[in-house]
Amino acid sequence: MAQVPPMPIGPSAGVPGSLPDQLSMETTIDQERALPQPGVKPDELRGAPELGFWRLAVMRFLHHRVATGALLILGLIVLAAIVIPVVTGDLYKIQDYRHPFKPPFTSFQHILGTNDLGQDELARLARGARVSIMVGTLAVFGYLIIGGGLGALAGYYGGWLDNALMRFTDIIISLPFLLVVIAVTAATGGVRLSTVIIVIAATGWYEIGRLMRAQFLVLREQEFVQAAKALGASNTRIIFRHILPNALAPIIVSATLGVSGIILLEAALGFLGYSIPPPEPSWGNMLSDFEQNLLLNQTYLVIFPATALVITALCINLIGDGIRDALDPRQR
Amino acid sequence: MTFYVVRRVGVGIFLLFLMSAMFFALTRVTPGQPFSVGENPRVHQDQVNRRLHRLGLTDENGTPYPIPQQYVLYLGALVHGDLGDSYVYNISVTTLLKQRLPNTALLLGTALVVALLIGIPLGIYASTHQYSKLDMTTSIVSYVGVSIPSFVLGIYLLLVFAVFLKQSPLHWGFPLFGMHTGGVDDPLDLLYHMVLPVTSLTILEIAIFSRFMRASMLEVLHQDYIRTARAKGLAVDKVNYKHALRNAILPIITLVAIAIPQIVNGAIITEGIFSWPGTGQLAFQAVLDRDYPVILGVVMLVAALTVIFNLLADVTYAVADPRIRY
Repeated sequence: MAQVPPMPIGPSAGVPGSLPDQLSMETTIDQERALPQPGVKPDELRGAPELGFWRLAVMRFLHHRVATGALLILGLIVLAAIVIPVVTGDLYKIQDYRHPFKPPFTSFQHILGTNDLGQDELARLARGARVSIMVGTLAVFGYLIIGGGLGALAGYYGGWLDNALMRFTDIIISLPFLLVVIAVTAATGGVRLSTVIIVIAATGWYEIGRLMRAQFLVLREQEFVQAAKALGASNTRIIFRHILPNALAPIIVSATLGVSGIILLEAALGFLGYSIPPPEPSWGNMLSDFEQNLLLNQTYLVIFPATALVITALCINLIGDGIRDALDPRQR
Repeated sequence: MTFYVVRRVGVGIFLLFLMSAMFFALTRVTPGQPFSVGENPRVHQDQVNRRLHRLGLTDENGTPYPIPQQYVLYLGALVHGDLGDSYVYNISVTTLLKQRLPNTALLLGTALVVALLIGIPLGIYASTHQYSKLDMTTSIVSYVGVSIPSFVLGIYLLLVFAVFLKQSPLHWGFPLFGMHTGGVDDPLDLLYHMVLPVTSLTILEIAIFSRFMRASMLEVLHQDYIRTARAKGLAVDKVNYKHALRNAILPIITLVAIAIPQIVNGAIITEGIFSWPGTGQLAFQAVLDRDYPVILGVVMLVAALTVIFNLLADVTYAVADPRIRY
């Protein structure tokens, strides 16, 4: 045998003697490139980028101008939430009684002015951003763990387990979230941020749960899963190696959109005084004095946190839509 | 059908039961008693005990009932339409709800009617003129509208139309606070006070209704019988409004029925912000005061509304669309 014929992809293109299942995708493609191609010199192919599903998705996302802009703005907000609290230190709770209600953009000491207690508004906004982002990400992890786990179990195993879990989901959906938080806060004796995160995660996971279940229901009937089963793969292996990577795209979109929903929920709770307790600021509890601030004509104290909230939520929604378009180019 | 309705009512009652039990247990394990906050040394302990007994928390001698017994007492009273007494107002929750419900019904009813009157024609226009300027604008506005939480929207409206407008050369703006006592006697004043809260409640609903109507209408317009009707030579308008609209508007029934409890729920914060004296503001204030019997009463009301309207939606839908059978 003088020459191995060029094959598109496959173990037979590899070095003779190596076992097929020890070949990863990478080596196969490299070996394939090493082979002489009709009309193409091997060196020319070296520079061509490898485009996997995720790399393509990132490229498609970056071509989406609105979504990229939203990502940039959100990046700035996250950066401010990290940097400003470090620089300003305790300024968010130091009460400067000589300068209450200082208007914004009038001094370098308090760039965005001060509130009724003379606390620096910029430092409070940045710290509030930190609270929002923290609650958003932690609670979404809760969604993914609870919703993803239960949805996968229900979809993969089906039967009575599926039935029981779906009825359980129906109950969770009909819970009035706001009032559950109030009841749990009352029962645990005090306002705590951890209560808020846990209750949001425990009552909001159903959307991801249903999505995950639907994905697993479809995917477990597909040929490649049947093939894996026929080859003797364990259930755990099938769930994590074969189905999960294919089920991920809509889950990522839903989780992204979930973050903005959580941030708005946390703000509503803060507004009612059921999120992080003072002196720690959150965008919600900075708004709870809105009546006094409007009557005293301190409108900037209302505009800043409200606008920060809306911009953040809008950016996350736009990013979520961008990811949806990037992951599923057919859906336009 | 009858079996279906009976089963749904059963499930609904079970859900109400479950929710009340959960909520009851959570609020009753709270340390402290209703009157331990404003304790006055001059008030005799007997009087406190009598009031605690009246609230169904302790027996005549002041020893607290165990929580399950309190719950059974609560349920027993609930069957008679008694939701217990408010800790703050010192009158029964049922009386409070009766006082506040008409105001809420007025506000929410107006908001719903306005949202339907604007949202549905907007959705129909957007679907028959797809990708037109109005369609694009509606899409963008409803996108932003969905990203703004109701309380922020309310605050923005107050900021612009109550504060900035009053400072502008006009020297006129909408009021910061809700309706006057007995505002129903003066319709013009009532209207003046209703504009901002109704706007705040409708914007989100218009966004939802118009989006849904557009999607539903587009789906119908792409069906074969519409093409057949057009191919026979019927006028575009006749096909759109007579053939398509009738089928497209059916799912709206469900949407409206689902929206009603949602509006009631969302009104808690909106009424609080605009100081509108309805059940929502009652709940808002009760939340701030930790007045648990009132909160529980409003929860039960909203939950009951949810169950009733969801059932009503399914039944009317089945009546309106003969293809649906349960």
